[in-house]
Amino acid sequence: MTDNLIEIEGLRFSRGDRIIFDGLDLVVPRGRITALMGPSGTGKTTLLRIIGGQIRPDSGRVIVDGLDVPNLSRGELFELRKNMGMLFQSSALFTDLSVFENVAFPLRVHTNLPDEMIRDLVLMKLNSVGLRGARDLMPSQLSGGMARRVALARTIALDPKFIMYDEPFTGQDPIAMGVLVSLIRGLNESLAMTSLVVSHDIHETASIADQMYIISDGRVIGEGTPDILRDHPSTMVRQFMLGSPDGPVPFHYPADTFLDDVMGDA
Amino acid sequence: MLRYLRLLGQWALGWIGALGRASTVGFQSLAGLPRRGDMTLLLKQVYQIGVLSLIIIVLSAFSIGAVLALQGYTQLARVGAEESVGLGVALVLLRELGPVVTGLLFAGRAGSAVTAEIGLMKATDQLSSMEMMGVDPLHRIVAPRLWAGIICMPLLTAIFNSVAIGGSAIVGVDWLGVDAGGFWGGMQDGVQRWEDIGKGMIKSGVFGVVISWIAVFQGYDSTPTAEGISVATTKTVVYSSVAVLALDFILTLVMYGDFN
Repeated sequence: MTDNLIEIEGLRFSRGDRIIFDGLDLVVPRGRITALMGPSGTGKTTLLRIIGGQIRPDSGRVIVDGLDVPNLSRGELFELRKNMGMLFQSSALFTDLSVFENVAFPLRVHTNLPDEMIRDLVLMKLNSVGLRGARDLMPSQLSGGMARRVALARTIALDPKFIMYDEPFTGQDPIAMGVLVSLIRGLNESLAMTSLVVSHDIHETASIADQMYIISDGRVIGEGTPDILRDHPSTMVRQFMLGSPDGPVPFHYPADTFLDDVMGDA
Repeated sequence: MLRYLRLLGQWALGWIGALGRASTVGFQSLAGLPRRGDMTLLLKQVYQIGVLSLIIIVLSAFSIGAVLALQGYTQLARVGAEESVGLGVALVLLRELGPVVTGLLFAGRAGSAVTAEIGLMKATDQLSSMEMMGVDPLHRIVAPRLWAGIICMPLLTAIFNSVAIGGSAIVGVDWLGVDAGGFWGGMQDGVQRWEDIGKGMIKSGVFGVVISWIAVFQGYDSTPTAEGISVATTKTVVYSSVAVLALDFILTLVMYGDFN
């Protein structure tokens, strides 16, 4: 067993003519929190889906827990995913199930535990995200932040080895954000998990990440601890870490000059 | 000219690709059944797809049966054969109108609902989150809806036929005064179990498979946006309706044989 849970080498992936990844290399060490950051539209969520086997890359190696994900059969992929969790940006709660049943879902599908034990486990997980009292609510009755916490409780229901977080802090109030930050850190330590966090919230992410990757133009442009990245020689990396509007990372999507557009034909 | 050829080629390739994806969805959904807990999922869908379609099926059936009796009586009374109205209505319903109208109503009521539901689950990442939990959405979401459609369509057709015949009896016998013995006796003597009832049910079963398959595939393959789901739902109703009418012609040709 290697020290790395995930190893990605020479990853290439494109959508139509647009190249998303152009020889991306990345490793996620076991038991650590790795953060993945970069400008919008650089394919961070796509990378999570490639790691989870939902999207097949054009070429390159994607090894998760020793298994070559793109070459797994459908059955092997579903088996691997039982040890994985993913917190979606949209929470992705099942709208026809209550909060309790959402969290109980993976337990009911993957285990033969008696109802009493499932109840206890679900209440424990809900308690850890502060929503034990909301167990009977339906997803339509939850705020965005509450839905994210329920989704987190569901993600950890089976105590996975590895969790991928897609923008976990988006839309959270400051209290919930603080709780989530400490939850991710705490879960990683107490359950000896490995975490990969995609986020734009630099301060929160940097406060819990053991190492960070910054990707842009389909490649890794900076890697290391948050402190190393803040003093990185690349202006692009520093611009992103400091959130500066001016710098080599363009704010505008590629286009003709504004003057040409305005003066040109409609 | 070349441009049109290219567009035709693109359209044909798109269709072949969609057919391939639809076959994969259909095959993977049904492979490996049944498993633990499947019956609960199936029964829930039978309720959603079948039981909740009953109102529109019963109301339409009664109305169509009543109209057929009125029209049949008007024509047959001219030649003094009004007692044959029961047989005529029964044959038209059992052989053609029952399966076809039930199919069209089923596509509009249940098919569109299935497509919209699966499409919305896709748009809100519910299918993706299920996959990431190690649960196959083709097995958990698609298969129960596919099976429920296949099971419910013949049952709804049988109910449609029964209610429509009941409606025609109320209009023909109770209102227009056709002799009850002649109405029911003619039907009993003239309707054949296999030729009329059996073959009608085969049509209905085929329509059930095709409509359900189109509905689940359009939902599963939809673009995960509001517009994408709207397009998918429309496609389900249009493709299913055209498929029902085209297949009805083919099945009638094949099953009822020699027309020379």
